[in-house]
Amino acid sequence: MTQYGRTIEIGPTDNTSNERTPRHPLHLIPDSARASFAPYAPYNYGINPGEADMTRLAAGRPRADGDPIKVTGTITDQFGRPIRNSLVEIWNANKHGRYTHIEDQSGLPLDPNFLGIGRTISDENGNYEFWSIRPGEYLARPDIGRWRPKHIHMSIRGGSSRLITQMYFNGDPHNDADPMRILMGDNFDKNIGKEYDTPGKEFDCGYQFDIVIGGKNPTFFENDIA
Amino acid sequence: MTHSNIKSNLLTPTNEDTLGPYYPISLCDNDSMDLTKIRSGIINEPKGEKIIINGCVKDINGELANGCLLEFWQTNSDGIYRTPDNETHPDLDPWFIGYARNRTPDGNFTLTTIKPGINEELNAKRAPNITLTIFSDGIMRVVTQLFFEDESSNENDPLLRSVPEELRSRLMIKNDGQNEEGIKTYKIEIIMAGEKETPFFDDFAS
Repeated sequence: MTQYGRTIEIGPTDNTSNERTPRHPLHLIPDSARASFAPYAPYNYGINPGEADMTRLAAGRPRADGDPIKVTGTITDQFGRPIRNSLVEIWNANKHGRYTHIEDQSGLPLDPNFLGIGRTISDENGNYEFWSIRPGEYLARPDIGRWRPKHIHMSIRGGSSRLITQMYFNGDPHNDADPMRILMGDNFDKNIGKEYDTPGKEFDCGYQFDIVIGGKNPTFFENDIA
Repeated sequence: MTHSNIKSNLLTPTNEDTLGPYYPISLCDNDSMDLTKIRSGIINEPKGEKIIINGCVKDINGELANGCLLEFWQTNSDGIYRTPDNETHPDLDPWFIGYARNRTPDGNFTLTTIKPGINEELNAKRAPNITLTIFSDGIMRVVTQLFFEDESSNENDPLLRSVPEELRSRLMIKNDGQNEEGIKTYKIEIIMAGEKETPFFDDFAS
């Protein structure tokens, strides 16, 4: 007896999405096999000091070009329980929309003071924070004039919790044509960082981006590391 | 992604998004695709039969899918997963974790591991298998589970049985001889989309 779940949608105007999205509906997992689908990632991160400050290459180095921003939030499961000690990986383009990734051949300007890669770990209450430069938008499909709006990539991994997502910015004129934003529909709101003032601080502003990790993978809460 | 519209107190999850093409390669610096070494530079190895799986991920045109982030998850040779619930399990292998990840630059990968055992933790005999999660540009995370051909336990595996018979061979890791050191080698082709696509599973709706 075969049962099917969701059919994954293809992101409009996204060539890679067209090439890589399964056409067949996803198969449902029988109960007796469900638990085996929840990987448990070991804690072996070894984060160095300063990795959460993406606004400079190292303490004492000059600030990268562009607007320094602070991103804060709480990571929880769907019951609101904090996801502690999970690894948060962050990557974003510089103010010109260029990544330091070796495969980004866009030719947009690099910033000698910006790496665009950071890591941090959520605390006992599931809170995280990092600092970065507000990324620039960039032309993703020159042939049809489609841009990628400003966005920050984030990966959350710890225990059985797993999410890779992107934080978007309210009011970006390119949001509406973004393929994945279109697929998110009304839920797009969940992926927007909520701007707040940081008076007297050295940031342009802060963004609150609370993350809720969905799905039915069990979350192991009893195994907190010291 | 659509979620149930039944009213509940559950929080709405953050939408998953694509990996994009620029996942930082350096974030995988400490990740190993050799599960037979619990850390680098030690002689101890886990219990069980050491194997090498050569695989690739392809797109709808049969082209290699570059830049995917792959995560593997399996039991030890006694069929035990290293989850917190099993921390004190007598058959847990202290030399084996069972979780690997890496980014494949070109779509090919090689996983060195030990053959997983038969898991019987949930009232069902699970044939030896490896869970594979793929993160990629253009698509949210997809998951599947890969089996070994010629395993008699495949016949009664509840997951394999739930997949139409004609699709089951697409989940099979195939024998591919041995390398010069006598280690058994296997191969598997993952096809993300199209007529020959690999069956993927829904871990949200089930």
